[in-house]
Amino acid sequence: MATDLLLIGKTGALAARAALDVTGQNIANANNEDYNRRSVDLAEVAATGGIGRSGDARLAGVRIDGIVRTSSAFLQAEVRRTGSDSARANTQVQALEGAERAVETSGIYPALVEFEAGLARLAADPLSTPLRTQVVENARNLTDTFGLAMEGLNSSAAGLRLGAQDGVARINQLTAGLAQTNTNLGRTQEGTVSRAALLDQRDALLSDLASLTGIHTEFDAFGRVTVRLRDNGGHVVITGDTAQTLGSAFNADGTLAITLGTGPVILETGSVAGQAQALERIASLRTGLDAIANQLIATTNSAQASGVDPAGNPGAPLFSGTGAAGIGLALTSGAGLATAPAGSPAGSRDTGNLAALQSALANGGPTAAMDGLIFGLSSEISGRSITRDALQSIADSAASSLANETAVDLDSEAANLVRFQQAFQASGRVIQVASDIFDTLLAIR
Amino acid sequence: MAIITNSTAAFFRRSSDQMAGIRREAERLQEQISTGDRLTASSDDPVAASRLRSLSRADRLASVNAESAAAAKGNLQLADSTLQTIADDFARARELTVQAASDTLSNSQRALIGAELEQLHQSLLAAANAAGTDGNPLFAGQAAGPAYTTDAAGNAVYQGTASAGQIELGEGISVTRGVTGPEIFDFSQNGSPTNMLAFIKGLADALQGGPADPAADARAALGGFDEGLEALTRAQTVIGVRVAWIETLQDRQVQTSEARAQETADTGGVDFASTIAELQQTLVVLEASQAGFARMGQLSLFNSI
Repeated sequence: MATDLLLIGKTGALAARAALDVTGQNIANANNEDYNRRSVDLAEVAATGGIGRSGDARLAGVRIDGIVRTSSAFLQAEVRRTGSDSARANTQVQALEGAERAVETSGIYPALVEFEAGLARLAADPLSTPLRTQVVENARNLTDTFGLAMEGLNSSAAGLRLGAQDGVARINQLTAGLAQTNTNLGRTQEGTVSRAALLDQRDALLSDLASLTGIHTEFDAFGRVTVRLRDNGGHVVITGDTAQTLGSAFNADGTLAITLGTGPVILETGSVAGQAQALERIASLRTGLDAIANQLIATTNSAQASGVDPAGNPGAPLFSGTGAAGIGLALTSGAGLATAPAGSPAGSRDTGNLAALQSALANGGPTAAMDGLIFGLSSEISGRSITRDALQSIADSAASSLANETAVDLDSEAANLVRFQQAFQASGRVIQVASDIFDTLLAIR
Repeated sequence: MAIITNSTAAFFRRSSDQMAGIRREAERLQEQISTGDRLTASSDDPVAASRLRSLSRADRLASVNAESAAAAKGNLQLADSTLQTIADDFARARELTVQAASDTLSNSQRALIGAELEQLHQSLLAAANAAGTDGNPLFAGQAAGPAYTTDAAGNAVYQGTASAGQIELGEGISVTRGVTGPEIFDFSQNGSPTNMLAFIKGLADALQGGPADPAADARAALGGFDEGLEALTRAQTVIGVRVAWIETLQDRQVQTSEARAQETADTGGVDFASTIAELQQTLVVLEASQAGFARMGQLSLFNSI
């Protein structure tokens, strides 16, 4: 029986060594975000006797049944879901803040006010050349600010489009990688180290994918994943070892169009969805700015047309072009400003027409519309920031729960280190005892 | 083996997130204190930002209105002093006419008086064409050229417009810019309309020879001086009332501007006492969590085995 005891001691020492290795591996990966804590699953080795010979059972120590990878399918799905939501909200709010900066810092509102102030000052002395020149310069400045705002919005949109295109390309890379991982998972055995590493890889790819687009996941017995998008039709992008490729294109107004095969895909969450939604908002902002510019052009030019300039000629248009990007200055000299109503003689200081323009600009004019546009955008950002913060804290707490469940805790690994070291020493003692027993038997004379 | 543990990586991430959050908050408060503005972007408080925009617009337009009010007041005061000159000249003309009406003077002496009246006519014409502070004629209404020009016969003809026009001084209040030539000079002599310039011119012509009895003409004209002086006084009163009205408006502009400044400070300004207290509190919390983190970070079972 001493040989058995020696064997039992040996298997115990081997198992303790393996457990120490795993503990060491856990400690080494303590800062690896994608790593799930491993543990060693042990099984007793014992042979039972035949029928009626149960006393003949032979004990043969312990064996390593497998390397267990701690995981929580529910928490992982939760982290992916909340992460997608938070990524979408974050991307969208960031992009909208960029748009807000572009519109606010371009200074359209102050320039509109300055234009009105220039007109009001001209009313005090309508024939003064410096004041007339001032109004024309104010108008020029105004057209420049519209250009600045459009440029800012365009560059924001260009950044978003680049990001969205890159996001779709990365989605395609990740789905291809997941399909490959699925193939490999089908070839590995339960309880092996390589399987645990593959599962880590699979979960890491899924979490990267989830930050780009919302996904639904289903797992089969081998751990292979089937991924459906959280979108308008729940499109399947990965089944087994095949991945579908998404296509991205941009519409005429600069908004994002994602396609799968020939059908359109409208993502609900994830950073790409955030980019797509922000692009739509920027397109509507551009429409809004165009409307304000057109209102300014129409109001000012029609006022000009219904008056006469100091030379007694009918007023020519002040602004040219259409839209915020196209608005330009048509009048080059202040002498062309039609301050007097039609029919006034040359050199009239009558400000009737100027007053009509001032009141058209003041009451529900472009200034009020611009205030409305900024207010609409800023209150949307303010509201969405609250949602963003809420989603962020939900995502953080989900990630924290998952980390507590599956990640490495150095304190417990330290305790394990001591525990398995003791187990190893005890098994060594067992071998010592077996040797002593053998020596005792040999020493009988 | 599903044990809930305290993940080390998660602990560090959580701690750094929390400390970064407090730090961000402290920086936000610090920025508010150093800029004096509660809002850095409209989205910080959309309603307040919109209110601030309309307040700044009102402030800008009010500053122009204040300039316009000051300019209008300057012009009216200039018109008032010009009217005083005109009244003085007119009174002098009346004195001369009283002298001319006396039978003791010879016709040649009356002709001299007529020549002086001719000079007074020129002086009145110059006063009528006086320019305001901005270089525009004071009494030509909305016309840019001189109020009166003389025709071939030397008679003054009004060239301006019928009304002086109005200037908007904010809050929908307008003030008539000034008075027109006819408002000052036109009056009716014995029921027939005339104007001061034509009246003096006619008298000067009569005294310098022409009619058989210039003294009778002078006597007949004396009644007209009273009517003319009354028209002048009326114009001066109108100007005085308008200046007073503009002064009232200026007081009001100052008051509303103060109210706007107060509202701007209330809406977008920083309440220093509470913001500094809040910053202090945030800093205390930040220091405490940093100290706590440092202590927690040192706790490791590896130190004890």
